[in-house]
Amino acid sequence: MIITHVRGHSALRERDEDLDTSWFSQLDPRVKIVGVFSFVVVAALLTRPEGVTIALTAAIALAAASRVSAKRLIVAYAAAFPFVALASASIFLFSGWDRGLTMLARTSSCVIPLLVLALGTETFDLFSGLRRLKVPGMITTLLMLTFRFLLLLSDELERMKVSRQARGFRGGRSLLDRYGLRVLSFTAGMVLVRASARADRVYEGLRCKAFRKDMIPWRTSSVRSRDMAFLACLAIVAGVLAAVQYEVLF
Amino acid sequence: MRGLTYKYEDGTMALRDVDLSIERGEKVAIVGPNGAGKSTLLNLVAGFRMPFSGRVLIEGRELNHENADELRSEVGLVFQDPEDQIFMPTVEEDVAFGPRNLGLDDIDARVTRALRSAGIEGLAKRRPHRLSYGMKKRVAIAGILAMEPEMLLLDEPTSGLDPRARLELVKLLREMDKTMLIATHDLEAAAEIVDRAVVLNVSVVMEGTMSDIVMSKKVLQDAGLELPPVSKLFDAMGRMGYPVDSLPVSMDQAVAELTRVIDREAKRTSELRGPGNPRSDRKSRQSDARGNGD
Repeated sequence: MIITHVRGHSALRERDEDLDTSWFSQLDPRVKIVGVFSFVVVAALLTRPEGVTIALTAAIALAAASRVSAKRLIVAYAAAFPFVALASASIFLFSGWDRGLTMLARTSSCVIPLLVLALGTETFDLFSGLRRLKVPGMITTLLMLTFRFLLLLSDELERMKVSRQARGFRGGRSLLDRYGLRVLSFTAGMVLVRASARADRVYEGLRCKAFRKDMIPWRTSSVRSRDMAFLACLAIVAGVLAAVQYEVLF
Repeated sequence: MRGLTYKYEDGTMALRDVDLSIERGEKVAIVGPNGAGKSTLLNLVAGFRMPFSGRVLIEGRELNHENADELRSEVGLVFQDPEDQIFMPTVEEDVAFGPRNLGLDDIDARVTRALRSAGIEGLAKRRPHRLSYGMKKRVAIAGILAMEPEMLLLDEPTSGLDPRARLELVKLLREMDKTMLIATHDLEAAAEIVDRAVVLNVSVVMEGTMSDIVMSKKVLQDAGLELPPVSKLFDAMGRMGYPVDSLPVSMDQAVAELTRVIDREAKRTSELRGPGNPRSDRKSRQSDARGNGD
């Protein structure tokens, strides 16, 4: 006899196991956005290798302390790495390896905190935080709708993929497989058509809930002591980096 | 609705001359096969589409492009697929989304009330995309209820639900004190919820109680509707000579009908045998059953 966990009707007694309860995710999104972006601006302006090394160390320390899943962080960094490497490679070719490495470290010290921010904050929280930071409603609403559309696209893509596999399709792994490529191109078209139709319905769903043009910020958190502590830590690091840059330290 | 006619862009007639009035507090089902125009009718009432000709009047006000957004807060449309209606990252935020957009006060209390009405108070902090389909339907309903509309429009509320979720949703809708217009081809569920039903197949074919509708086999056949299993059973019993007055649509109605038939038959049998018959009712029934078996 197979005994397994039965979902559905037991939902009222369940909780989301992947709910992020780390201290970083609990911070006020506005504080996270301001703190991380300030750090990124300072790190991007560094030119001395000592400062860049400290910035990279601080970025890695933030990633480790934030308790954002290391696997997800590595995957996200790997996805961003080609762009990071491209920028570094051009410096490496024209100005020498030491400058190339500095560029790599500097770019990484900017990318890693941004990834921590994106992965350690619920996407809708991030948009809400931006909105509360007085970013124009049109921009945050567009971001939210775009994000929802991307979710729809991935959902439809997954359905089409399963549907193809269920009917025995195994092609499309070679550029010479003309039939496979034809099927894949039809799939891509169909995904867009279906996602567009669903997007219309989602938009109608929003209008059913009196949505007009602007996503009104819905979370009303206040800045607490731990948010201030986080900002203070980042301010100290930024201060150290500035001191190193202007040779007050080292 | 007065003389509603709607055509799709490709010229397909979706609705022709539909007249329908719904009183405050009344629950009405629109039954019909796929492509009968049920969802289109709901979309017209919700103001997402405008009729080719005819009028939709809500509380005496004619629906048009200008007031569609405003009147939509009076009628809450619950989609067939809750995935299309749930937007926010948590259940309570999704339920609060509508009242917040409407600028209503006391949003927390509204959310609590809506969650309680939909029987999902315990899901407030949950992520909707993690929930079962049945629970998502409830979240979608709660999201609309929180806006406290005068009327609920439900598009195929029981589709895609397992038997238990379906039963729970039917109970929820039956007990809800709201004006409802339900588009469905689930006749059994409709019979449990509504006071009146309309058979729609591009135009209104018939209007009446669900029992009236299932008794009209020609209408059902023309509209491509299938009798619920319990109605089929009683229909077969009727053809076999059992005195069935009306075709029950739901199990509750079937039990009531069966009890009535048994009581009447027992009374008739005892009257035939006359007073002073020494045999007990049980023995009499056993004897009758043997007789029928012969």
